[in-house]
Parts: sequence; structure tokens; C-alpha cells
Amino acid sequence: MSRRVAQIVCAIFGIAMFLLFFSPHPTARAITLSITTEYWQLIYASALIVGTISFLRVNLKNIQRGNDTIYRVVSIIGLLAMPVCAIIWGINVGSPFMWTFENIQVPMQSTVFALLAFFVASASFRGFRARSLPAAVLLLSAVLILMSRSWAEGEIANALISTADWVRSYPSMAARRAILIGIGLGSLTTSLRVIIGIERTWLGGGR
Amino acid sequence: MILLVPPTPDPWFDIVKLPTLIAAIIAIIVVLYTTYHKASRDKYRPRPIAGLRAVDDAIGRATEMARPVLFTPGWGGDIQRPTTIASMNILGQVAEKTAQYDCRLLYPTHDPVIQSVAQEVIRESYVRTGYPDRFREDDIRFVSTSQFGYAAAVEGMISRQHPAAVLLLGTFEAESLIIAETGNSVGAIQIAGTDSTIQLAFFIVACDYTLIGEELFAASGYLSGDRAILASVRAQDMLKVIIVLVLIASIICAWIIPTATWWKF
Amino acid sequence: MKLEPRHYTFLGLLVVVFGSMLLGIRPEVSISEETRRMHAYIDSLPEGSTLIYSFDHESSSLPEIRPAALALLRHSFSKGHRIVGLALLAEGTGIGYRLMDMVAHEQNKQYGSDWVYLGFKPQYIAAILSMGESLQKTFPQDYLGHPYDSLALLSGIINYSQVNAVVSIGDGNMAVHWIEYGQSRFGVTITSAMTAAMVTTYDPYISSGQLHALIGGLRGAAEYETLSGQSGGGLRGMLAQASAHVYVLLLILAGNVIYFIARRRGA
Repeated sequence: MSRRVAQIVCAIFGIAMFLLFFSPHPTARAITLSITTEYWQLIYASALIVGTISFLRVNLKNIQRGNDTIYRVVSIIGLLAMPVCAIIWGINVGSPFMWTFENIQVPMQSTVFALLAFFVASASFRGFRARSLPAAVLLLSAVLILMSRSWAEGEIANALISTADWVRSYPSMAARRAILIGIGLGSLTTSLRVIIGIERTWLGGGR
Repeated sequence: MILLVPPTPDPWFDIVKLPTLIAAIIAIIVVLYTTYHKASRDKYRPRPIAGLRAVDDAIGRATEMARPVLFTPGWGGDIQRPTTIASMNILGQVAEKTAQYDCRLLYPTHDPVIQSVAQEVIRESYVRTGYPDRFREDDIRFVSTSQFGYAAAVEGMISRQHPAAVLLLGTFEAESLIIAETGNSVGAIQIAGTDSTIQLAFFIVACDYTLIGEELFAASGYLSGDRAILASVRAQDMLKVIIVLVLIASIICAWIIPTATWWKF
Repeated sequence: MKLEPRHYTFLGLLVVVFGSMLLGIRPEVSISEETRRMHAYIDSLPEGSTLIYSFDHESSSLPEIRPAALALLRHSFSKGHRIVGLALLAEGTGIGYRLMDMVAHEQNKQYGSDWVYLGFKPQYIAAILSMGESLQKTFPQDYLGHPYDSLALLSGIINYSQVNAVVSIGDGNMAVHWIEYGQSRFGVTITSAMTAAMVTTYDPYISSGQLHALIGGLRGAAEYETLSGQSGGGLRGMLAQASAHVYVLLLILAGNVIYFIARRRGA
């Protein structure tokens, strides 16, 4: 029964959002903004509380069991310290919250992002093999783009840049557009399946 | 003399969006036709998709090795995104199999809403297959809303838990290669699928199988074998034919009548 | 810990990047068409034009984004443009303020008359739409707590109609939202500085004219610095980036040589 109600609510909102897209009327715009901001904010805020509680519960349980204790403790300290700093001293420039953000969180995030460079190196060594014609084409275009972005200057650099630009503007763009059209159609059929109720897995329900 | 002109009321329909409405209605009709027309439904056979055929093998391998399966939907999407919905549909099928094989399923996510929905999807799958006792709520985890906080958490989970199969299905951004390479380093079978065209290149290089764009949306029908869902996938092919015909007509039109603008909406 | 082949590739990259950074050489760079277009656009705006700088990125991409953001800010301020800063991602808020404050100090620009910083607004799509109706309703006060009305720069700025362009400093798809909602609905010119990996995503938007101009990654920053006669992080990092690219090319070559030798032995 509750699943049927959720299905009906989903269908009503799906159809409403579709129709509202075509209306410039102030009332329609107000309804759209209300659905996409206020209701969504409410749902997200509630879920964030659930998520945070779940995060705390899982970590505390694992600390009790002695699983990865040090990581769990750091996670919980991080989760609690930032809001506490924000509540006590605010989040303005120079506050402990902002200091922690700029001197701990920014370097940590940048470090994880920088790992990408190392993984690109290992993936290119392992994965870019000319095993077949498509793989060879992929390999050649990757090499061309890399060289165009790294060669300093001069005739060769200009030739590489213009060739790479041609690859990006024509073959690559054509493929990308085809993929995007496919994704758009896939999104459309998935959305319709959900709205008309033939796809119910997302409800946790059977088919 | 002062003429009192009544204010023009705001229109309820944006005429500029008429072509979009017509295109949307055509698309809806095609989808409904392929879904509910029994004769056309029964004729349709999808082509084999290697990545989806490998899902069963991957879960089987994880079971044999007594190691978990890790499924994550990426950082780039929220629950409203069709890609996330498609990912949830696949998750339901995967959870049925992990329930049957008694294989542990790990599901880290960056979004608490996705976590709530995923918990429900997985729990129901376990109940449906008759193994509610095998469901472990703590394995469906919200880790962090921050992109690289999420990436680090998933990376740590892979490094410590050593999953035998890693399923990366959803919307991914820069964290894609970090997760895929870590999965590769522990020797996991990796099946990826995303609508992020930039990340497809990373997945193709780092994963064993990659679902490209629309294949992700066809996956739930393919895995479940549900005729209605599979038939709706056929609508995509029919719509592609229509789009190609419109493109050809537009090219011819622009070539013959260079001043024509009807196709520029 | 037993070292695997991939650990050696990691160490190699570390040596290459550190080595080239220690050399401190700043190579000359060829200027791409897209960077030239961005520079020409900022250059062509009359003195006193208003630009919105939106910091739409997380802290993770700061090393790559920062040189481009600074190059653009320095150029914009030097041309006498007035800058309204804001952030649509929470992590960009403090970063954006710091960068603007730093460049404003360098060029003796006054807060309130030459530049303002409105701070962060959650729900980016709603924020973009809302600014199209009223900037003041979206940001009743600035980042430092001053009321909107009290800032001289903002008097007369109601919505996008009084803004020449938006510069989205981003590391993901945020510029797409600026295009879909800001440009399509309100007609405001959108430009962007973004991470190199994202550049090809925006090729269709550049070719359709929906995105007016962009600069991509460290290379884009180096090109922009060259065009505007600056010497910043873009040019400083170019040798390290170029060396890393060459290193990756060598790895690809080595990988293929090993693969073909193994295949020949197996045949």
C-alpha cells in the first residue's frame, strides 16, 4: 500500500514538473522554485541527519569492535570539530573554522586530487596498449592531445595544437554528441518507466 | 485622451518551447507504444552487452573467494538524476544475487538521500529472495559529501576490504580513476558505467568492462529480463532513427534553402 | 612493504615533477585560440564594466585553478573592471574571498567601490535563477555582513541586465548550469576558467556560442599570463606539467614495447 502511494506521488510530481517546464507564468515559476528548492532542501536536510547518525553509529560500532580504530576516531573528531568551531566562533575570515578549513581540509583535498596524476601514470603504463585498431586510435589521440598540451612553442607546437584542436572539434565532438544523444534518450525512457510505474526497483519493490 | 490599456496577462505557455513540447510528446508516444504493444514487445531481442553478462560472473567470483562486492554510484549525481535511478535499478538486481550467494555487498555513497534509498532497495531485494537475515544495514554507508573525502573513503574501503568485484555505476567525476585504479590494484573485476563522457575514457583504460552512456539505462531490463522494460529500451532505437531523419532533412534543407531557420530551434 | 611496478611509476613521477620544479625554468608557451579569445574579451570591455566572478569549485582543484583565477582577476582589475565575487559551492567561498582580497591589495582596489564579495549561496540552480530576478534578494548582505544597499558598487545593479559577463571559476559541471539557466534564460554572457580535464566537455557549448570563452587548466593560465604580461603560477608550473606529460608518454611507449615483446614471445 505504502509503495502504491509513493508510486502515485512520483507520477504526480513527474507529470507536474514536465508541464511546469513549459510555463513562464509567475505562478508556475513559483511552484517550480518551491519544489526544487524548499521541498528538496527539507528532504535533503532530513536525510543528512539520518546519514550523519548512521555515520556515527557505524564508526562507534567499529571502534567498539576494534576495527580500524584510529581511522574511525579521526573521522568522528573531524565530523564533530568543524560544527563545534562554527557554532562557537563563527565562520568568518580568521575564525578557527576557517583556519582549519584552509590549513587542514584544503591541503588534504588537494592531496587526494593530486593522487590522480599518479594514477594516470600507472593507468597509462598498464592500459594504453595497442591491442586492436580501436585501442590504437585511442592511444594515438591520447598521445596527440598530451603532446599538444605540453610542447612549449614553435612550429611543431603550433602544428600539434592545431591537429589536436581538429581532433577535438570533429571526430571527438561527433562521438561525444552521439553519446550525449544516447544518454538523453536513456534518461528519457528511464524517467518515463519510473513515472508510469513499470520500473519499481528504485522503490525497493519488485518488478 | 488617455487610453486605459489593460495589462497583458502572463501567458501560461511559452510558445518558444513549442518544438520541445512536440519532440517530447513524440518521444512519449514512441515509449508508450513500444512498452504496451504486445506484438512489438515480444519481437524485441536486445543485443548482448558484455559488461552486463559479466555481473553474474563477478558476483560468483567474489563468493568463491569469500570477498565482498563493492557497488558505488559516484559523486556526481543526486537521487533526482536519471543515471542514479538507473544505477538503483541495477543495484536491486545485484543485491538479489548477492543475497542468493550469501556474498557481502558494500555500498558507500556521498549522498544521504541516496543512502536511504539504497538501504531500502537492498533490504527489499534480500527480503524478496528469502534471505532477510543476510542483510547488513551498516554496509550501506554515507561517507562524505565532499568529492575527495568520498574518494578517499571508497579507496580506503577497497584497500582494506579487498572486494573481488567493484561495480562503478552512476555519475562520476574526477574521483573515477582514483577509485578504478585502487580497485585494479587489489585485483578486483571492475564493471563501470557512467553518463559522464569525460570519465568514460578513464574507465575504458582502468576497468574490465565499461557500459557507455545509454547501456547503463538498459541494464535493469537486461539483468531482470522484464519484457516491458526491455521493450521501452527499443524506444530509444526508434527515437534515434527519428533524430537521424530530422538531421538529414535539416542538412538538405539548409543546403537547398540557406536562409531557412525552421530547424534551428 | 613489497614494491610493485606501479610504485616505481609513482616514484618516477615524483622525481620528474620535483626535479622540474627545482629547476625553476619558465618555458615560453604557444597561445591557443580559446585563451586568446578569453583575453580579447576581457580586454575589449570598457573600463568600469561589471563582472561576476563565481567561485564554483572545491578546495581539491585549487592548485590547478588558482593560477587561472589570479591571472583573470589581475587582468580584470588592471582594466578597471568592477568585480562582484560569489561562490556556488561552499568550499569555494573562503578561497574566492582570499584570492580577490589578495589581488585587490596588489592593485590598491577598494572594497565596496571596486570589488565586493557576496559569499556563498546554496542550491546553485535556484541561486542562478534567483539572481536573474534580483541580486539583492539572493544576497541581502555581503560576505562580511554589509547590507547590499550600503555598497557603492552594487547601487544600480538589479540583476544580470546590469552585468557584462559571468566568469565561472570551476572544476566540474557548474558552468553548464550557468549556461542552461543564466545564459539561456537571462541572456548573460558566460565565460569560464576550468580544470584541463573539463575543457572538452565544453567544446559543444563553445561551438554553439552558449559559452563565450574559456581558459583551461595550468596551460590556459600560463597562456593568459603570457598574453597579459604577468608572471604567475601558470608559467611556474608549466615545466613540471610538461615534464609529467612527457613522462606519461614514455610510460605509454614502454608499456606498448613490453606488450609487443611479450606477444611476440607468446606467438
